[in-house]
Amino acid sequence: MAATMVSSAGALLAMLNESHPQLKQHALYNLNKFVDQFWPEISTSVPLIESLYEDEEFDRHQRQLAALVVSKVFCYLGDLNDSLSYALGAGSLLMSLRILIMFILFLMCLNFDHLRSVVDIFKFAGASLVCLTFLFLFLTSAKAIDEYASLKAKATESNAEAANVDPRLEAIVERMLDKCIMDGKHQQAMGIAIECRRLDKLEEAITRSDNVHGTLSYCINVSHAFVSRREYRCEVLHLLVNVYQKLPYPDYLSICQCLMFLDEPEGVASILEKLLRSENKDDVLLAFQIAFDLVENEHQAFLLNVRDRLSVPKSQSSEMVQPKSSDPDPAQNNSSTASEDVQMTEGTSASIAIVQETDPNDAIYAERLTKIKGILSGETSIQLTLQFLYSHNKSDLLILKTIKQSVEMRNSVCHSATIYANAIMHAGTTVDTFLRENLDWLSRATNWAKFSATAGLGVIHRGHLQQGRSLMRPYLPQGGSGGGGSPYSEGGALYALGLIHANHGKGIKQFLRDSLRSTNVERFIYDSAVAGEAAGISMGLLMVGSASEKASEMLTYAHETQHEKIIRGLALGIALTVYGREEEADTLIEQMTRDQDPILRYGGMYALALAYRGTANNKAIRQLLHFAVSDVSDDVRRTAVLALGFVLYSEPEQTPRIVSLLSESYNPHVRYGAALAVGISCAGTGLSEAISLLEPLTSDVVDFVRQGALIAMAMVMVQMNEAGDSRVGTFRRQLEKIILDKHEDTMSKMGAILASGILDAGGRNVTIRLLSKTKHDKVTAVVGLAVFSQFWYWYPLIYFISLSFSPTAFIGLNYDLKVPKFEFLSNAKPSLFEYPKPTTVPTTTSAVKLPTAVLSTSAKAKARAKKEAEQKANAEKAAGAESSSAATNTGKEKSSSEKDADSMQVDSQPEKKAGPEPSFEILTNPARVVPAQEKFIKFMEDSRYAPVKFVPSGFVLLRDLQPTEPEVLSLTDAPSSTVSPAGDSATGQQGSASAMAVDEEPQPPQPFEYTS
Amino acid sequence: MDPKLAEVSQLFERFKAACAREDVDTCCNVLSKLKVLLTGFSSLPPLFEDTPNAIHELTLARDIYEHAVLLSVKIGDQDAFERDFFQLKPYYTDASSSRLPPSSQEYMILGLNLLRLLVQNRIAEFHTELELLSSTALENPCIKHAVELEQSFMEGAYNRVLSAKQTVPCKTYDYFMDLLAKTVRDEIAGCSEKAYGYLSVSDARQMLLFSSDNELLQYIKEEQPEWEIKTGQVIFQKAKESASCKEIPSLQLINQTLSYARELERIV
Repeated sequence: MAATMVSSAGALLAMLNESHPQLKQHALYNLNKFVDQFWPEISTSVPLIESLYEDEEFDRHQRQLAALVVSKVFCYLGDLNDSLSYALGAGSLLMSLRILIMFILFLMCLNFDHLRSVVDIFKFAGASLVCLTFLFLFLTSAKAIDEYASLKAKATESNAEAANVDPRLEAIVERMLDKCIMDGKHQQAMGIAIECRRLDKLEEAITRSDNVHGTLSYCINVSHAFVSRREYRCEVLHLLVNVYQKLPYPDYLSICQCLMFLDEPEGVASILEKLLRSENKDDVLLAFQIAFDLVENEHQAFLLNVRDRLSVPKSQSSEMVQPKSSDPDPAQNNSSTASEDVQMTEGTSASIAIVQETDPNDAIYAERLTKIKGILSGETSIQLTLQFLYSHNKSDLLILKTIKQSVEMRNSVCHSATIYANAIMHAGTTVDTFLRENLDWLSRATNWAKFSATAGLGVIHRGHLQQGRSLMRPYLPQGGSGGGGSPYSEGGALYALGLIHANHGKGIKQFLRDSLRSTNVERFIYDSAVAGEAAGISMGLLMVGSASEKASEMLTYAHETQHEKIIRGLALGIALTVYGREEEADTLIEQMTRDQDPILRYGGMYALALAYRGTANNKAIRQLLHFAVSDVSDDVRRTAVLALGFVLYSEPEQTPRIVSLLSESYNPHVRYGAALAVGISCAGTGLSEAISLLEPLTSDVVDFVRQGALIAMAMVMVQMNEAGDSRVGTFRRQLEKIILDKHEDTMSKMGAILASGILDAGGRNVTIRLLSKTKHDKVTAVVGLAVFSQFWYWYPLIYFISLSFSPTAFIGLNYDLKVPKFEFLSNAKPSLFEYPKPTTVPTTTSAVKLPTAVLSTSAKAKARAKKEAEQKANAEKAAGAESSSAATNTGKEKSSSEKDADSMQVDSQPEKKAGPEPSFEILTNPARVVPAQEKFIKFMEDSRYAPVKFVPSGFVLLRDLQPTEPEVLSLTDAPSSTVSPAGDSATGQQGSASAMAVDEEPQPPQPFEYTS
Repeated sequence: MDPKLAEVSQLFERFKAACAREDVDTCCNVLSKLKVLLTGFSSLPPLFEDTPNAIHELTLARDIYEHAVLLSVKIGDQDAFERDFFQLKPYYTDASSSRLPPSSQEYMILGLNLLRLLVQNRIAEFHTELELLSSTALENPCIKHAVELEQSFMEGAYNRVLSAKQTVPCKTYDYFMDLLAKTVRDEIAGCSEKAYGYLSVSDARQMLLFSSDNELLQYIKEEQPEWEIKTGQVIFQKAKESASCKEIPSLQLINQTLSYARELERIV
């Protein structure tokens, strides 16, 4: 017999009207069974069932049943509040009914606010069974808990007692929590406890779990991802730190991360000190690792605080303090080459000398202290990064050459774009070969172009702390004499210095201040308005995240001044001051976004973006979307869309979905904003959806949209090769086509040139990363990108993108903070992550009209032979590059091939296309590890070194398992033996700089001059 | 035989006997007991479980509910009719897929229900019910009768409605036909109220299909107390004062539409 199904609830509803209570009961019981099917029919009779629930004469169980039915119907109707109030009436029935899963699933779908938690659950609950149980457990009272949580939240916000919370609610929530804890579902319990602000239960859940460390780190993740109120998040983190410290083996790494978020340098300092004073070398390594992790977050003020709070060994405190207090000594400046940069070493060497006479324990501590201070000040990491980028530089000069050839001489925009591209390509590598070889061409730069050309040097030499000053000396204003240099190049040079020392000011600040004073007249002769704008921005940069009252002062001034540029500068400056303040910034944002002046509203958008950076805060997104579609000013709309990129960078998968509609807007400004938003938030991810969204925009009808899309695409694709996504190759070809096309608009041409620069940024060894490995935001990177996005108004701001570059390197360090040579494994096909092949396309080589064309064709022939194609091509290319320069000599050939051989260390498996590709690759410390590759990195079991904490990239402290054997160090020899490749060809002034080499720093390139 | 089933059958016999005696009170009491007993069978709607005695139980339950419906007509309880009918319906609509043979009373009861809806002026539900019927059902005289009535009713051919009383297919229909006459009269009254300012008493009598003036006067007294009778005229207190149709705020609407269009353009 075919299963007979009832087709209507009419009969049951009719039965409810019967007078006999037993009939009513029967009807209710069956209604409850069929409610999932017939809720639309039942919904018309809800008042009837409600009256049953309220009927005092009715049996208690029946009344609960009635409440349950009503609750379910309301749930289906989407009226969750009513549903909840009846569900409470249903009492114990709610927990015991199996069918409720259905009810729950609906609850989930109806209420989009829950989607996030549900997704989260799926993510964390692995097996399907766990999943289902959890779904049931969590969601039966999801609404109840929500209600409870919001009541609690309200109570805490108004500082009132939580007395008015329904005791029934409280009971449900507590029952849920206890049940979770009892069943060992600690993650769920923690989630609920956090939501409900029951820190007592949270603590209980954590301490009672079997894997306290795992639970704690889960909890940290959750609190960052889902606790939207900053204040409350701090409370949670405080609790976590407390729990951590009670553990027998505390996880100092995590504690320090928490403390950093809480901005408590004292805590970090005391932990570091404890570790440093430990007998065990491993503890010291751990301290170093903590320091490196902290540095990665680029929270400079915090780092300085930590550094200053590290207590010095007794008997030398006075000495240590003394040099620091003399820090801003103006006498040392101006002419002398021995700058404050070395001061740190001076101070410490003095202290070491003294320690030798005192306690040996103290001596060891002092030595360690020196190291950790070096790390905390960022110097160690900058220095190592610099060495890495220099030795691994793989930038493709041929691309630049092609660009140079194709760009029209008189077109200054493209000309400077090429200079920008060069700077970005070589950011941080200190390789300025291209500039040296094209001095004539470079000298066409005038005025602002000259400014940016000079500033470009700063990008190339970024992080070259020690030599920064001497390098830029020829361009800097000379004492008080006024020199011969044009104000533009001088201005550029100061800008360059700023970039070199970004975020590690210390010594250089004073110098900049002095030269500003002395060159005031000169520097500001160009437009006082420009100066005003610059001042606005720089005020913001100085006060990043300080939320000081200065902001309102700036706002008042912005109202008073007439000049657009100054207002814009100030607006951005204000936006920068509220960096990361979230709710605290709301009043200011409100003030700015309601302003009459579109420029201030525009600043408001930035303020929103920066205050809520990376939080994916719903409120901020809603506000931005509102402005994106409703503001009257195109600038504001563009910025609002762009700002979405900043708010969402922690969840890059979301951005393409959110801006996809906007990217089809009729307004080109909105499309441009959408492109950049995707570019910013998906930077370096190579996200497929992002690429799909940007692709059509790169052939938009409006030129500046094309420009934005090209730049954004390059940001997304940075460091990807064709093996990762075939569209990368297509994009490269498209860029080439645009650059070579004579009829292309200047705007998009510029975009294409910049895009090719970004695509190969930093010698193909850096990526754009806004989040550190611990998921904290990198202040400098975010701010850098924010200012970069201003290049719409002033091109030299493009250089700010270099602040957001972070090297994709694995650098292992030993106790002495040196880089030992050892090998580790990348468990993936080498071709997936190798460098893109250098360009040897016939069109490009023929475009270079040089006698060396023969060499290129021979290179092609060899490439066809498929034997060490890459190596050869590199050598050939280098040779080609040399012959184009004025002077040639053999020494240079040698040095460049040496360099090539050096970089080939990375690709230890030469490409053999004939045989099957190996499924793994052996990398040598230090190695390039691109973000997508990180999950494949493994340490070899028989390796001599073991990491203190396993992380697949960045700085990793290594424990030496065979301390007695001598260590082989890498990175130390390369820079000292390879003198700057173009050394001899430079004109004049050589020799002087080479004498100043400090440590293992690469030699600074010879200063060169171009004549205007 | 299953003891439970036997008990129900026995009770049902008592019920039928009471019906035959026209002992309404006993009928109601026994019926209530029967219904409670029926809830104990899981083979009945809405569960439709496949028990060994399913067919037997279903048939019996259907019989009981059919009797219940007829009883409610007899005592003129429309609410009870509705209740019982809805409980009976699954036996017709859903149980047909099982081996339950169709009931002989089915069309008669469906027709009664249609008539009830017509009487209660629930035309929408009437048509909903109609749509659910098969084409063969529509050919059935009981159903046909109700459908024709509805058509005449809608056309305003009230005389045909009243004359249809003579052609009822079944005696039980009389109750509803009487009610229908009253519904028709109410309709006419409603219409004349709208159409005329006043009517002479004789015209009104004709119009409202009364045979004597007294009947008319009594009707007015009971049902239409706001009507006045003056000097042989029935004066309707119709909505004389009912304001002329409100003016459409055209300008405002145009403005609004335009601004929507503008907003839309801005959004996209």
